[in-house]
Amino acid sequence: MSRADLALAQRLKAGDAEAFRGLVRAQHNRLIRIAAVLTQSAATAEEVVQDAWLVVIQRVDAYEGRAPLSAWIAGIVINKARDRAQRDGKMISFDAMAETEVEGPALAPERFAPDGHWADGMPAWETVTPERLVGDRQMLQKVLAALDSLPPAQRLAVLLRDVEGLEAVEVCRQLGISDGNLRVLLHRARNRLREAADQELRIR
Amino acid sequence: MLTCQGLSENATAYMEGALPPMKRLGAWTHLRICPACRRYLRQLRLVIGLTRHATHEPPPDMIEEKLMLAFRQKKGGGTE
Repeated sequence: MSRADLALAQRLKAGDAEAFRGLVRAQHNRLIRIAAVLTQSAATAEEVVQDAWLVVIQRVDAYEGRAPLSAWIAGIVINKARDRAQRDGKMISFDAMAETEVEGPALAPERFAPDGHWADGMPAWETVTPERLVGDRQMLQKVLAALDSLPPAQRLAVLLRDVEGLEAVEVCRQLGISDGNLRVLLHRARNRLREAADQELRIR
Repeated sequence: MLTCQGLSENATAYMEGALPPMKRLGAWTHLRICPACRRYLRQLRLVIGLTRHATHEPPPDMIEEKLMLAFRQKKGGGTE
């Protein structure tokens, strides 16, 4: 848990509308991406996330800071989306989906020399710092496009674990997958996203 | 001795703290002597932060205002 999250929750509890606006701006579209995988419908995802915000407003008094605030909110979205998917007869088995998404190696064998070293070394990304990257709109668009083109279980794994900050054990519980499967999904997804960023840097 | 290929296969388990002790030590030792794999791991970490920023897009104004209205109604004006 973080002090910043507790402070933010405190502002929400006190009725600070601008704090709520900031949260909605940061998270709404991310949550839509999560709900869209779970409900398999963009329109349903929008409804589910709007409903979830109402629950956040009602229940924020009960937030205790055990998980990051973003993860707590994502948990509410997951519950709502799964209820809705069940009602619509659209429940997904992520365990089965994970199996089909992880056939073959995560990195092509050609990336490696016969002795197991990287075939072309590893680009240095010398000019790349976290500060510079976050202001780089072209790069952010490239990464976003790569995220949206990931197979659904991989996309969901990254969104929950890396973006919203859920604990691995919590992601496994929510999706009904093993911790091994979660890591395989994350591994593929992170490597694909890294490749996309690398390609963007190479064409400059 | 772990190769770069072996390190790359274990990279996510290493980052997630899920490697058993001997494998963890193997990865750590490889990373000490291999700048290419250190770069690879740094890039994987950078990309996680990038993904977080890339997904930070505000919703349409209409939806934002609808949610703001719901917040103000529930919280009764608050400290704004």
